[in-house]
Amino acid sequence: MTNVPANGAPLILAVPSKGRLQENANAFFARAGLVVVQGRGVRDYRGALGGVGGVEIAFISASEITQQLAVGAVHMGVTGEDLVRETVPGADDKMAFLTPLGFGHANVVVAVPQAWIDVKTMVDLEDVAAAYRARRGERMRVATKYVNLTRRFFAERGVMDYRIVESLGATEGAPAAGQAELIVDITTTGATLRANGLKQLDDGVILRSEANLVASMAANWSDQQRGSARALLSRIAAEEEARTTREVRAIMAGDRTEIAQEAGALFEARALFGAAGEGPLTLVCPRSNAAALADWLLQRGAEHVAVGALDYVFSARNALYDKLARRWEQA
Amino acid sequence: MVDGLNETMDDAQRQEALLAHVVAAGYVRREPPILQPASVFLDQSGEDIRGRLYLTSDAGGRDFCLRPEFTIPVFRDYLASPSAGEVAAFSYLGPVFRFRADGPGEFVQAGLESFGRADREAADAEILTLALEAAEAAAARNFDVRIGDAGLFLRLLDALALPEAWARRIRRGHAQGHDLETMLAPPGNGGGFDHAGVLAALENVNRKEARALVEDLLAIAGITSVGGRSPAEIAERFLEQASMRGGAAVGEEQRDALRRFLEISGDPDAASIALRSLASEAGLDLDAALDAFDARLNFLAARGLDLTRLSFSTRFGRHLDYYTGFVFEAVDPLQGEQPVLGGGRYDRLSRALGAAEDIPAVGAAIWCERLFSSRVGRSGDRA
Repeated sequence: MTNVPANGAPLILAVPSKGRLQENANAFFARAGLVVVQGRGVRDYRGALGGVGGVEIAFISASEITQQLAVGAVHMGVTGEDLVRETVPGADDKMAFLTPLGFGHANVVVAVPQAWIDVKTMVDLEDVAAAYRARRGERMRVATKYVNLTRRFFAERGVMDYRIVESLGATEGAPAAGQAELIVDITTTGATLRANGLKQLDDGVILRSEANLVASMAANWSDQQRGSARALLSRIAAEEEARTTREVRAIMAGDRTEIAQEAGALFEARALFGAAGEGPLTLVCPRSNAAALADWLLQRGAEHVAVGALDYVFSARNALYDKLARRWEQA
Repeated sequence: MVDGLNETMDDAQRQEALLAHVVAAGYVRREPPILQPASVFLDQSGEDIRGRLYLTSDAGGRDFCLRPEFTIPVFRDYLASPSAGEVAAFSYLGPVFRFRADGPGEFVQAGLESFGRADREAADAEILTLALEAAEAAAARNFDVRIGDAGLFLRLLDALALPEAWARRIRRGHAQGHDLETMLAPPGNGGGFDHAGVLAALENVNRKEARALVEDLLAIAGITSVGGRSPAEIAERFLEQASMRGGAAVGEEQRDALRRFLEISGDPDAASIALRSLASEAGLDLDAALDAFDARLNFLAARGLDLTRLSFSTRFGRHLDYYTGFVFEAVDPLQGEQPVLGGGRYDRLSRALGAAEDIPAVGAAIWCERLFSSRVGRSGDRA
């Protein structure tokens, strides 16, 4: 079966259908001036994106989003990198990670009982696992739902003597319950691990994950859908650029081009509209450098410096869309 | 020439002819079920094989797989039979199933297994020569044969009387193909070692008391369930690791013996002489292991194998937790590194599969497709 879109078919953007992930995803799009409009009832699984035409929203569970991206049933989606890396072999060929979204942070880590005072690193674990097997004739058990991530990581570190016990919930309780000797699980602060008498190994971080905006390379992309993707991504990029920068304006005497260059070197400032011309010199710099830049401009003879926040900074070059366009070229 | 092989046969007939040669030598053909319990292979081969298994489960949630090889199924059937522990010889031919990036997941293996024979060296020689004869006849060409002896290396580690932690480390390093320098480097351990205070306090206390104290500390902390490891085990290794860091490493003489041992390779008879002189100079008792080594060579020669075809290496002996003695493989010089047949002695598998005692076992597996692909484009050569 091919999934050639009918003429005018929308770009399908999958967002999580419930919980914190959904709230955060909605907030992310809202910040970019894009309102996720759900169908009339909460049970309606299709919606629209206010602000950009030609986009249909599919509300599905986070793990389902990963699968749909892999097979190309949706064009873009919000999902955790941990899920992608665990469930999609060769993910980098099938998808493009466009941008991390700043929420859903979690690490997939290897954790052992705190009582194992002799085990701090994967090298220790490799040794202990081998000794355990030699002594008992059985392999040490690792409880996890991240079977593939665990296997890959342990193989890289030379840990051979273990068995995976698949665990679909409350993995951190498995050692205490006698179901496993150690675990591989997701953690944000480590508090749950500590509460269960476990500790993370020093070099036991398998993956630092957060929610990502991901595009499917397996999906069919019509020209119209590519256009929608460009509009969507330029809104997101423009908002991100605006949110992380400040506009700094001042009337400057002297060589404006030289001042702009020095400000660039010192404060990563850019003269967005050029340094030449009349009126105030307009610079844009990272938000955290704005005050220092203003100070510096005063020292260089400015009478007043105005610093302001921007709503959007749209640019002809859009790094997010370029990423996607490059992948289409390579394909 | 193996009986019954001729130029007009297709691959399936060649495979049958290959197997017939082994069956004629007394190896009874076995056909274990294709569907096997997955846990057996995961227990024996580790999670690494999981990615290559075709897994499925039954209605009750038990995991099954398509057989990825024959040795374990054939051995399990033998252990479950009334003749378990007795001398028995089996052969097999059929499809096995493994995910492979570079080929179909289903391919044909033939092989033979010998169980229960106390005359190990004679059995070793019989397995290698039979497998080689059958495979070379089927492919109509000779292969390069590499041999090793896992038992020799394990015996050397015993004779060196290394601290247990080091013996363990070197054994696994060897199995993973690390060089000697890597194996003998102090364990790299991220940064520092916790609990330096406890260790300093224990420095002048004898081993037994130190262990008791660490166990007490764990007990005071209320730690009883420690994920399957006993407090005694943890205390033991805690102190052992501390002493490894403290410099109680492998001595210069021991290092030297290991280095010299691992450099020996080439002609097996010459290697045997070199090993004997190493043993006597280093004062190591390797006599029994070397007598077995020589006896095996004699049996191989007696079976008509030209010993100059064999290339021995002390470094060849992978999978030390599986193979316990003779190991071998044959490669087709025109096909590169992938062996066309391989095998060895695995006396400990019986216990791992639940038997009460070690049962001598040695076997070989032949990758049939590699045999016949080596024939492609060659038929004209022999007009």
